[in-house]
Amino acid sequence: MDTGIRLALTLGQIGAVMVAVLLTVALLTLLERKVLGWMQDRMGPMEVGPYGILQPVADGLKLFFKEDIIPAGANKFMFSLAPVLSLVPALIGFAVIPFGPDWTVDVGGVNFKPFVITDINIGILYILAFASIGAYGIILGGWSSNSKYSLLGGLRSAAQLISYELNVGLSIVGVLLLSSSLSLVTITNAQGGGFWNWYFFAWGSFPQAIAFVVFIISSVAETNRTPFDLPEAESELVAGFFTEYSGMRFAFFFLAEYGNMILVSCVATVLFFGGWHAPFEFLQGPESLHWLTGMFWFTFKVYGFLFLFFWLRATLPRLRYDQLMRFGWKVLLPIALGNIVVTAIVEYIFP
Amino acid sequence: MNLKEWIKTLTFYEILLGMKATMSHLLHYKPITLQYPHEKRALPSNYRGMLALLRYDDGTEKCVGCDLCEAACPSRVIRVVSSEVPGEPTKRYSKEYYMDMTRCLFCGLCVKACPVDALGMTQEYEWAVYDKRQLHLNKQQLLAIGDRNFPVREKRLEFQHPNVAYFNVGFKDIPQKEA
Repeated sequence: MDTGIRLALTLGQIGAVMVAVLLTVALLTLLERKVLGWMQDRMGPMEVGPYGILQPVADGLKLFFKEDIIPAGANKFMFSLAPVLSLVPALIGFAVIPFGPDWTVDVGGVNFKPFVITDINIGILYILAFASIGAYGIILGGWSSNSKYSLLGGLRSAAQLISYELNVGLSIVGVLLLSSSLSLVTITNAQGGGFWNWYFFAWGSFPQAIAFVVFIISSVAETNRTPFDLPEAESELVAGFFTEYSGMRFAFFFLAEYGNMILVSCVATVLFFGGWHAPFEFLQGPESLHWLTGMFWFTFKVYGFLFLFFWLRATLPRLRYDQLMRFGWKVLLPIALGNIVVTAIVEYIFP
Repeated sequence: MNLKEWIKTLTFYEILLGMKATMSHLLHYKPITLQYPHEKRALPSNYRGMLALLRYDDGTEKCVGCDLCEAACPSRVIRVVSSEVPGEPTKRYSKEYYMDMTRCLFCGLCVKACPVDALGMTQEYEWAVYDKRQLHLNKQQLLAIGDRNFPVREKRLEFQHPNVAYFNVGFKDIPQKEA
């Protein structure tokens, strides 16, 4: 009985989170084009629906009904596997993100946390591990397409992801030192009470602002977004690793890219900007309304980061490959390492 | 590298400057896009659009079948089959007149070459078709284009000054045709 209730609750939660993420992806495809357009004195999509707001529906329908082409000479098994391998890790990471307050509800004798699917104590490691599995999807997709452009895109992606994942991992070590936990729920709970307790500011300890900058830059590189979108460089490699993909397989890669964007924004929110906590205690409202204000502040911060992604894309040109590598290894890596050392010393002296 | 440049590099000064520029465009949003099929730009009066054959106001064709337009055309768009007017051995007309608009580059040399101003350039430009054979126009189609674009026709040639261009009468602001 207990198992049944738990299963139903968890499946319901997973369904809700999946729907929320996929709806956000649909919204993002429109928002990105709109925001980019506005920043470049254009209008963005205007034809489908009033002010183009039904564009994601039209895009989805188009992708759904498109012919699914497997190029001649492609490795069919890998070619079909790659989009799934890249989409699943992007969605699976949301399992450990706390979207709201850390409540435990008793449903029919089962302890149930409504705002996080599963609070595993190595949550952030779990996300990092799956993020690197997502790279396999890109590399396999590039290799199995039997196309030179795809292969080049896949190879670039491999090198880029390896060098930037390191920086992501190192930049969050400071936060882990401050919170002495790898669980995202514990990290969020430690940042309550006001914006000065967020690890970006970290009042009374070493602020993680530098680590945050490293994290955001590395995340942009890891999600293959401009200015680090070398794996899919439109002007050089047609579309990079998904050149040969069409229809729903292409849509899977697309969903994976945007899903990764949302996931990275969620992680940045949780680690550096206090998750669902409001910047001031009075903005959080009474205890009974924490779920509402918590969800609001979480969504607000995540959308702020997503806007930052669009903003960067509208502003910056693509880096050259050697610049990308030099920046990752020679600039970001030493900064991240230095941040760990300084945070550790400060934390040791002023515990 | 001096200290100031170091600080600029460390704080991503140039990148922030660029981001400020894009943000200012977002805040002072003034699109320059013209939503084309819904709104169209105003064409200049000397716009060189679709070619047309013209008539006098009594409905007779201006074209005398002299082939000068065919000779002037750099892309070999025009093909004229000239013939005598039946019963009037001193007069000629174009029995057949074809324009292959897939090749036309809208230079207007045929219009300039025409001694009787039988050719005109309209303001039409929406001539995208699914079958490119539909762009191979014959005399009737060209006359129809002329009729619908220049409903007010001029007097017969013998009643007006011989060098007054047909459509230059309507547009005083453009340079007059050389005599």
